[in-house]
Amino acid sequence: MESFQHLMNGFLVALSLQNLLFATIGCILGTLIGVLPGLGPAAGTALLILITFKLEPTSAIIMLAAIYYGAMYGGTITSVLINVPGEAASVVTCLDGYEMAKQGRAGPALGIAAIGSFIGGTVATFGLVLVALPLARFALRFGPPEYFALLCVGLSLVMALAGKSLAKALVMGIVGLIFSLVGVDPIEGAPRFTFGITPLLDGIRFVPVVMGFFGIGEILLNAEKSLAGVMAGGGKVTSFLPRREEWPICATSILRGTGLGVFLGMIPGTNSAVASFMSYAIEKRLSRHPEKFGTGAIEGVAAPETANNAYANAALIPLFTLGLPGSPTIAILMGALIMNGLTPGPLLFTQHATFVWAVIASLYIGNVILLILNLPLVGWWAKLLKIPYQVLVVIILVFCIIGAYSLNNSVFDVGMMILCGILGYFCKKLDFPLAPAILTLILGPLLERSLRESLSLSQGDYRIFITRPISLVFLIITAIILITSVRQALPSAVREESKEAQV
Amino acid sequence: MTRVNLIVWGVVLAFGAFVVYESLELSYYGTDFGPGPGFFSFWLGVLVIGLSVIELARTLRGPREPLPAAFIPGRDGALRILYILAALVASLFLMAPLGFSLCMLGLCVLLLRALARLSWWATVPIALASSFGLFYLFRQLQVFLPTGILGI
Repeated sequence: MESFQHLMNGFLVALSLQNLLFATIGCILGTLIGVLPGLGPAAGTALLILITFKLEPTSAIIMLAAIYYGAMYGGTITSVLINVPGEAASVVTCLDGYEMAKQGRAGPALGIAAIGSFIGGTVATFGLVLVALPLARFALRFGPPEYFALLCVGLSLVMALAGKSLAKALVMGIVGLIFSLVGVDPIEGAPRFTFGITPLLDGIRFVPVVMGFFGIGEILLNAEKSLAGVMAGGGKVTSFLPRREEWPICATSILRGTGLGVFLGMIPGTNSAVASFMSYAIEKRLSRHPEKFGTGAIEGVAAPETANNAYANAALIPLFTLGLPGSPTIAILMGALIMNGLTPGPLLFTQHATFVWAVIASLYIGNVILLILNLPLVGWWAKLLKIPYQVLVVIILVFCIIGAYSLNNSVFDVGMMILCGILGYFCKKLDFPLAPAILTLILGPLLERSLRESLSLSQGDYRIFITRPISLVFLIITAIILITSVRQALPSAVREESKEAQV
Repeated sequence: MTRVNLIVWGVVLAFGAFVVYESLELSYYGTDFGPGPGFFSFWLGVLVIGLSVIELARTLRGPREPLPAAFIPGRDGALRILYILAALVASLFLMAPLGFSLCMLGLCVLLLRALARLSWWATVPIALASSFGLFYLFRQLQVFLPTGILGI
């Protein structure tokens, strides 16, 4: 009951004219980002942080959150209309969404995606309301050792799900941690890895790194291919509602998609693409007509789109309650919170209750805005696809430069962004995942501080991590995840050899 | 791909060694209680070295892998990348003396003509909107972008 009372107060703040306006602008900008291929939610959210610099924290985060879930829905439009997913989570939507569009049913595909996204997002936000306070209260028992162990769990999950090669994911995670160490040591005040460069004393800021990795890096990679014709096409959209006989199928798919999305959203290290792909696979397995999947089955659109948006909202649960970002985009939101002087975690609910509940309330409102906006505006979004990609590249580059510069009025940050862009380009070419580096760059200072504070508490005795029950449980979970990941990463040949040896 | 992997993991190994070397310059033990500023970075460097040695050994022992198709960009692709990088680096050095608007005007004109091959009729309005237009827009949002020696 207490949560709902807080939520009502949150609605009072979120429903102010100013915050409604920012949520609407965020939804529009987010959908725009999602629609444009080559700009995922992570890069888009990072790019648009600059717009929120001068806003007060609640409005800024409401707008960024709206950009985030707007982008999640925007990716669907291009998937359905031109078979080009705006972001990874929408890849699976292409399979049946585009087929439906080819059959002249783009409207029902987009309609059911919007309805599913609305239901998934709303239920996930309801879950956030239910879970947030108890989880945050539990987390208040955490001292530095527990927090260190919890961060280890988060990081190990990220490594485990980061890509094809565990070694590459680990290296990128460590690179992010090393980047986070640059600057003045937080405990003793000694400069580290600054090489006499004054701006480095302030550390490496995450905005130029994210813009470089995801914005510039992606543009350089796309520039390898011919940029012309990436965004041609656009279909006609008329009716938005599925046929009467399709509603029961859609309802069960949306229900399952919601459950899966909420569940995966609460686990740090997963991503929305996992939610949408898993949801599609489950629907296909449970369907009486699996052969219809890939030929325009409406449940092939409803389930993954619901799971995708339910995930997007549920992923805020570990961020707000434990301070654990589950994905790169959530990590960027976490960075934005920190920039606004708000440290995500259990204390957020006690020290900044008005803020956090206003943001949670705005998620409900944002989902309604998305539903109202997206159905009538689909035709407009489709027209945007006619802007040549080469022109967009130039505009994105200008925005990247503005974003990196205006963070601290520093040309040095622009240089850092360009360097990270080049690094990001090579990492993408060589299959080094970028997400672990972003997460550890943001979590690095927290990880180091909690480790060193723990060891200060124990006067250098490492047993502090295993003598405290909560910390021990988290470390055991970390070990299990890492061992499982290493076993999975071992080449099959090695496993075959060991089997033969045992025989 | 084998040779590329060897080079890449060699670079990662060198990076790890550099981090360890730099960490040794910092205090490892710090104060009486708990580790110092060099502690965390030292072990991170050691981890990077360990991982890269394992991957180097795996690459050397494994079968030779061919380079994937289109791994190295074609001439046109490489040229586009160079255009973008040149425009970015130039804007980095020219932003302070010329100011944001003039600098972005140059960047937009260069890239819109070279990459998009737009006509001057299309290039000029887009470039003006993306440079002077954005400068003015962000000034309204209280985000102040640099002005150069000409005061614009």
